[in-house]
Amino acid sequence: MSYTLRGRIESRLAALLPVLLGCCVLAAALRHWWPVELCVLMAAVGVVLDVQVWHRIFPYQAAWAILPLGLVELGLVLAIVYGAGLHAPLGPALFLFGVGWLVSFLLGQAGYPLLRLSYAEDGGELGRAGAVAAAGVLLVLIGSAATWYVRRPPVVYLAAGVHQGPIVIRRREVLQGSPGAVVKGGIVVAHDDVHIRDVTVLGGRNGIDVENVRGTVLDGVTVQGAKLDGIHVRSAGIVIRNCTIDMLGNKIGQGIDISFNMDMGMSMVEGCTIVGGMQGITTHSSMTDIIGNRVSRTTGQAISVAEMSMGMAMDNEVRDALGVGLNCDDQSMCMFEHNTVIGTRPDTASGDPSRRGVAVLASFYSEASLWQNRLVANPVAASAITSSMFRWSKDTGW
Amino acid sequence: MAGVAVVGSGLAGFTAYQTLRRGLEPGEIVVFGPDADPAAAWRVRAAAIRQRAMRSESDGHCRASTFPGLAFQGVLRRRSLRPLIETVSDRYHPTVEEFLDHVERTRERSGWNESLVSRRIERVQAVDGGFELDGERFDHVLLAPGHPALNVPDKLRDDPRTVHSYEPHEYASTVTVVGAGLAAATEWLNALEAGAEVVSVRRHEPARRPLNVPREYFSRRGLAAFHRLPARERIERLRVLTAPSYPSGEEWDGPLERASRAGRFRVESSLNGSVQVICATGFVRGWRHDHLLARLVADHDLATEGDWIVVDPDSTVPGLSDGTRTLALAGAPGQWAFPAADTLAGARYAGHCFLKRIKACRTR
Repeated sequence: MSYTLRGRIESRLAALLPVLLGCCVLAAALRHWWPVELCVLMAAVGVVLDVQVWHRIFPYQAAWAILPLGLVELGLVLAIVYGAGLHAPLGPALFLFGVGWLVSFLLGQAGYPLLRLSYAEDGGELGRAGAVAAAGVLLVLIGSAATWYVRRPPVVYLAAGVHQGPIVIRRREVLQGSPGAVVKGGIVVAHDDVHIRDVTVLGGRNGIDVENVRGTVLDGVTVQGAKLDGIHVRSAGIVIRNCTIDMLGNKIGQGIDISFNMDMGMSMVEGCTIVGGMQGITTHSSMTDIIGNRVSRTTGQAISVAEMSMGMAMDNEVRDALGVGLNCDDQSMCMFEHNTVIGTRPDTASGDPSRRGVAVLASFYSEASLWQNRLVANPVAASAITSSMFRWSKDTGW
Repeated sequence: MAGVAVVGSGLAGFTAYQTLRRGLEPGEIVVFGPDADPAAAWRVRAAAIRQRAMRSESDGHCRASTFPGLAFQGVLRRRSLRPLIETVSDRYHPTVEEFLDHVERTRERSGWNESLVSRRIERVQAVDGGFELDGERFDHVLLAPGHPALNVPDKLRDDPRTVHSYEPHEYASTVTVVGAGLAAATEWLNALEAGAEVVSVRRHEPARRPLNVPREYFSRRGLAAFHRLPARERIERLRVLTAPSYPSGEEWDGPLERASRAGRFRVESSLNGSVQVICATGFVRGWRHDHLLARLVADHDLATEGDWIVVDPDSTVPGLSDGTRTLALAGAPGQWAFPAADTLAGARYAGHCFLKRIKACRTR
């Protein structure tokens, strides 16, 4: 097929239309935007490549070329998806792309020639149908954008000053704290898709309690003086970014505890600073990525991936932990990469030999993969006990 | 009374007819021509050069749309997916037998016989709102007269050793093949296979390409620029594009290299003393050699450029086509609009454009 530029674009957009509609239906069913974002990205990458690359280098394109071209486009789409943090799950994203690719191939080889007799001679141009398809794609995109706009959660601004809690959030909303906004007595998230930004929480049984909801985002929150956990997550999907949690003096609580949310997909803790508490960040039966956090002066373990959890701890800095720095426990599968663990202290008072100042501990049928961690001034660098094992990288370091 | 006529019952007319059938019933179309079998002339030529496979690919068929191509038919016939796999990389070439079978089945299904009138048209005369074909009136006419005659160089015409490649023939012990296109290449291999010593006489080295013209000239991508060319450049471009060529590949080069090493194949610039001279020189070209077209040009003072009648990009004759009537050229005479007009894809192109004009006609 010898496409004209217009033919390339019309053929692509017309093939994308049913996929885009499918993405909208999927987005509505899943109550996530990533299918639409992915489709828009597929269209954008495809059209840009059509205009800038494919049209210039392919005066004629054999049918087989759709395979390598599709792989290039897939690579670019995935790079942008993960580079821009769109959080589209890989499997469904690949499936959607594959469906789009297949629809495009079948329409190009069979559908369009049957619908428009002169399709090949017209260089892939679809005449009025092409314009209608392009308009259709544009309408769906505008409709999606409008839907996104009107469905944005309302923003509730929390004024500076102390607000008596606990605050219970029972609707989809963004709670935006003004500088100096403080909630005393904790916050309870009781609805899906709640975002809390730039709020300081003082006291409370748990500083922020998130249970049985989806789509929670905590960004820039500060928690101090919680009686139990700083951020307590149960059966909920959550993203926590840039938080500060002060647990000093709390001997039984955890800075962040994310548990029993394996069925909620990936959660994330990123860029937080946690001081004190029994465990700084802990997960149980969870798939959580723990990235770029600073945890110090904990009395149990600084970062613990436990109870059949699967997760990655990467680029974290752990200092002055008592007993254990990084912990992979109870049939969990952990990946510890590029972490720094400094000055873990032996917990002699406990009499527990597994807590003699271990930077990385794997215990009770767990498996930890280690890659390029910096373990400095720890009595024991790494220890695997009770039928656990480490997988070592070929590179130097832990 | 039928308002649409196709003049010519060969493959070009037949392919255009298949497109017309997408919008018209057999009773609304009249096809004038000498043969009920649209492949009658082509069949003889293909047999003469012992052609086994088509140069065209899966979409080299007579149907109105490129899909389904002959590769699908090949899958059923050969009970193998290989044709489909080959067609994805443009490597599937249907056999002559498969192509002829396709023509026959398409003929049976399409109502061709119902539309066919076994008569040669001698004259096309424009009249108010239409055309008269030997006195019979039609609104829309597509001329697909085919090639006027076989081309034999003047100095060989009376040479008793000479036979045209498209005429039935056997091979002598020494054979000179004049020409450099696909028919010539086929004849080199045929004669070598028959045990002959072969001399290729040609003025230029043949181009090596898979199809008659570069692929972009089969679509608007190449055609748009072609249609913008001034007349003189367009003539030059047509001469380049329609110069002799045949596909590259081991199946062509291997036997020739082996024969060259064995001293059985060589290239020369002039005739020698071979026992047999085969003229693989195609057909005479140009409207002047076709009685019907020459008369049409003379009667209506049509614009011409070199060997070609000037037609619009949609293969219609300007001045004789308007909102009420259409005169279009298909096959080799339509090259001014579509350089590969003498292929099946070219006939399909003319058919598509013709049908669009008919559908847009305000009197229908």
